[in-house]
Amino acid sequence: MNNIWNRLGFLNAREFCSYLLRSAVILLLALCTLLPLAMMVLTSLKTGSEVSGMGFRLLPASPRFQNYVEVLTGSNWPLYILNSVIVTVLTTVISLVFNLLAGYAFARLRFPLRKPLFYSVLLGLMVPMQVNLVPVFILIKSVPLIGGNNLLGQGGTGAINTLLGIMLPSLAGAFGIFLARQFYLGFPRALDEAAKMDGAGAWRIFASIYLPLSKPLLASLGVIKITTVWNDYLWPLVITYSEGVRTVQLALGLYKDAMVRWELLMAAATIVVLPLAVVFLCAQRFFVEGIVTSGIKE
Amino acid sequence: MRHEPKRPRGRRIDWAGYAMLLPSYTIYFVFTLLPLCCTIVYSLTDFDGFSAMNFVGLSNFSRLLRDGIFLRAAQNTLVYALFTILPPIAIGLLLAVTVNGRLLFNRFCRAAFYLPYVVSMVAAATVWYWMYDPSSGLFNMILSALGLEPRNWLFEPGTALACVIVMSIWKIVGYNMIIYLAGLQSIPGELYEAAKIDGAGGVQRFLKITVPLLRSTTFFLFVMACISSLNVFEQVSVMTGGGPANATTTIVHQIYQAAFQQYEMGYASAMAVLLVAVTMLITLLNFRYGNAADAADM
Repeated sequence: MNNIWNRLGFLNAREFCSYLLRSAVILLLALCTLLPLAMMVLTSLKTGSEVSGMGFRLLPASPRFQNYVEVLTGSNWPLYILNSVIVTVLTTVISLVFNLLAGYAFARLRFPLRKPLFYSVLLGLMVPMQVNLVPVFILIKSVPLIGGNNLLGQGGTGAINTLLGIMLPSLAGAFGIFLARQFYLGFPRALDEAAKMDGAGAWRIFASIYLPLSKPLLASLGVIKITTVWNDYLWPLVITYSEGVRTVQLALGLYKDAMVRWELLMAAATIVVLPLAVVFLCAQRFFVEGIVTSGIKE
Repeated sequence: MRHEPKRPRGRRIDWAGYAMLLPSYTIYFVFTLLPLCCTIVYSLTDFDGFSAMNFVGLSNFSRLLRDGIFLRAAQNTLVYALFTILPPIAIGLLLAVTVNGRLLFNRFCRAAFYLPYVVSMVAAATVWYWMYDPSSGLFNMILSALGLEPRNWLFEPGTALACVIVMSIWKIVGYNMIIYLAGLQSIPGELYEAAKIDGAGGVQRFLKITVPLLRSTTFFLFVMACISSLNVFEQVSVMTGGGPANATTTIVHQIYQAAFQQYEMGYASAMAVLLVAVTMLITLLNFRYGNAADAADM
């Protein structure tokens, strides 16, 4: 019998009801999950009296974009944004080049010590950066020929309190190398054989065959790197102290401590979140693929 | 054609491999492996970051065991880990199984659950700090609307850590869901069909098919959650600064305080050594008993 439930793709009325019930519960949970972020954006558009006054209303009476103007002109936020953009873009581009090269070498080339070197990279997957704060700080202080340092890295402050100091430790990492290697291991070896016959070396094979096929890897590694670098708080907090090199996350933390008005604080938080949220909505597929390939065996 | 001596495949050495590894391995070695060794050396000294260090044996470690604040931090970290490792994994699994089926607004719900993971910890902590605010925060508004006594949330030793934990669960659940969703795609649908024919109910299918077949995903999430939960810092630093009365201070927060506020870098390194040892122990135990071969193809 072909009744209405079958035509909708359900067995019977009972299954249809359970579908509706499940949808309602999940939708409710999803809205609750969104609530803090929605309130962040909505509050950033309210007036001061709406936020602190009596009676709660979710929507602002009329959106007040003046809050954003006040945040952006009130202190050096354009500079903080510029700093964060520079750090994020440079770190992402450089780390992609470095990690792809290393991943290709580990996956495809043969040279003595390849295995021990790779195992030493795996070890790094277990070492969170938080435990290395002190020695990395000392190392950044000892970068030679910068910040008044001599050739041996002594005498000055090195790369402390510079954008370079923020970037250096994350220009390559165990995770990126590991992911790139896993990706290239999935390539058929026959790819190289033809090129090898033509006498192409490793560099040319990488540049002309592997690199053009690396778009999914570039997308997922890139998205992960952009997120972690843009969102990082602890390392910039440790390695910088002056306003000229402040990143948006540091600025937001300080802004919160300054006890400004809530609507301005929420506007600042929205400014910090917005670039990544836009990237996320445009490149949702790559975000998800990136997160997933990083987590699941190849 | 010139006759070349036949060599077994793979004996040729690709010298280019070293050149390709050089940039990323140098960065990795200098900023991850070398610091790990430095941390261990510093932990045996009275290093203050500036003057020459003296070897002090294990006295930093014995001081740790007598340091009430550090012991409190260790206890807080363990409580935090207890609530932010397993519950988000369980919630993530349930969400994934539900949104994997047919639902209204399915895409919207997935994005909503996942969005908090993309938001920076500082921004998320700032928004929740405001929601927990005793005078104008959302939670007290809800309480007073229900006719209940308002709480001081983050400013009360009894509730502060719980508040940080709730925020952290909110932030990580979507990530777990996405990883589980990917894992679910690899379970063949015929298994469920066969179980249905054998008369297995929904709960039974979930417990007998879904959970066991997602074991490697669970294992991966568990290891990652252990590492990140034991190293919690940013939300504590932004929301409570470790207070009130050290009710929310964590190990990494203590490392940061000791190293960069009090310049006791030797002492901070001792904490870091303890932390990395525990992290590695848990990871290795997981690999030993969690059937590592399933999870990561190394």
